[in-house]
Amino acid sequence: MEIASYIFMTIGGLFYLLGGLGILRMPDTFNRIQAGTKATTLGAFTLLIGIGFNNPEWFPKLLLIIVFIAFANPIGSSALAKASYKSCDLPDNLVQDDLIDLFGGKEDGLN
Amino acid sequence: MKNFLAFIAVLVLGYMIVVSLDNNEAFPAYGEADVSSRVSQAFIDRTVTEDPGDIIFGQATNLESGPANIVTAIVADYRSFDTLGEVTVLFVSSLGVALLLGGKKQKRLELNFHPNFMLRVGSRALFGIILMTGVYIAIHGHLTPGGGFPGGAMIASSMLLLYLADDEFRAKIKGFKMLESFAGTAYVLIGLTGLLLGGYFLENLLDNGVIGDLFSAGIIPIVYVLIGLKVGSEISGIIDNFLTEEGV
Repeated sequence: MEIASYIFMTIGGLFYLLGGLGILRMPDTFNRIQAGTKATTLGAFTLLIGIGFNNPEWFPKLLLIIVFIAFANPIGSSALAKASYKSCDLPDNLVQDDLIDLFGGKEDGLN
Repeated sequence: MKNFLAFIAVLVLGYMIVVSLDNNEAFPAYGEADVSSRVSQAFIDRTVTEDPGDIIFGQATNLESGPANIVTAIVADYRSFDTLGEVTVLFVSSLGVALLLGGKKQKRLELNFHPNFMLRVGSRALFGIILMTGVYIAIHGHLTPGGGFPGGAMIASSMLLLYLADDEFRAKIKGFKMLESFAGTAYVLIGLTGLLLGGYFLENLLDNGVIGDLFSAGIIPIVYVLIGLKVGSEISGIIDNFLTEEGV
């Protein structure tokens, strides 16, 4: 049980490391949001499950934290992405723009 | 009639103050006070080796102050009167915001963005968890770090989340005002009960219990929950004042 918990915790820490690396290395805002949220969501899940294996009596609280992160991370990142869509320059190599109907398009990256 | 009653109340209070200041045990005449029995001298005289018994978490009883969290022991027991003043400062600041920004008819401020379905529904799910965490922190203020002020701020932050994530949301602000006045009045009433039955304001009348239990430390958890309710409703009122404007 203890070995499993440490394996889980190591995987979680690794995901956090990759997320931090992605925030440093990714080229633009949207990629950075992706690295920051996707990697840290999974990292937090595995880390908390590892802690739960080590201390089974904490499991209900940890489950609540997991539910919180499962809601907060995607919603927060989507709000951030929308706000940066409205206020930042879009990257040049954009292939598809699904939000263009919603906001009525952007001219020259302004407005 | 109202003025007459107020005059009578002032007279009675003044009489009580004059009588209580007149050469008794608590307020001796000038130059006759026994300073060595005062609070500050008692704490200056105290040493760490006087009573070196171990205090075991979950077992020790009959302690001088019951909470397991030392900060709570200071904030809500030794200088609880000062905490009452802090709560009053917050009350005055929220009153000032309400006087400046509040009016008779208020409507929601128009946001220049429209939150989508996911944000609205998801933030309602998050609201419950954040509110629960805030209440938990306020209730466990005498056992863990935190307490009434952070717990109340967390309750108010859940309200702020709803205000920002839904551009039509409006809290029932009247309930907040009633909760706030109830909590403040109850705090003062607890203090006056201590003055009446024990001898000084906000005295810890109840049993201290076993250190580490949820129901321990006498009136401290009650006071901290009241502070949490008051802080939460006050900051929620401030948020409502900032996010509304006059209009129908």
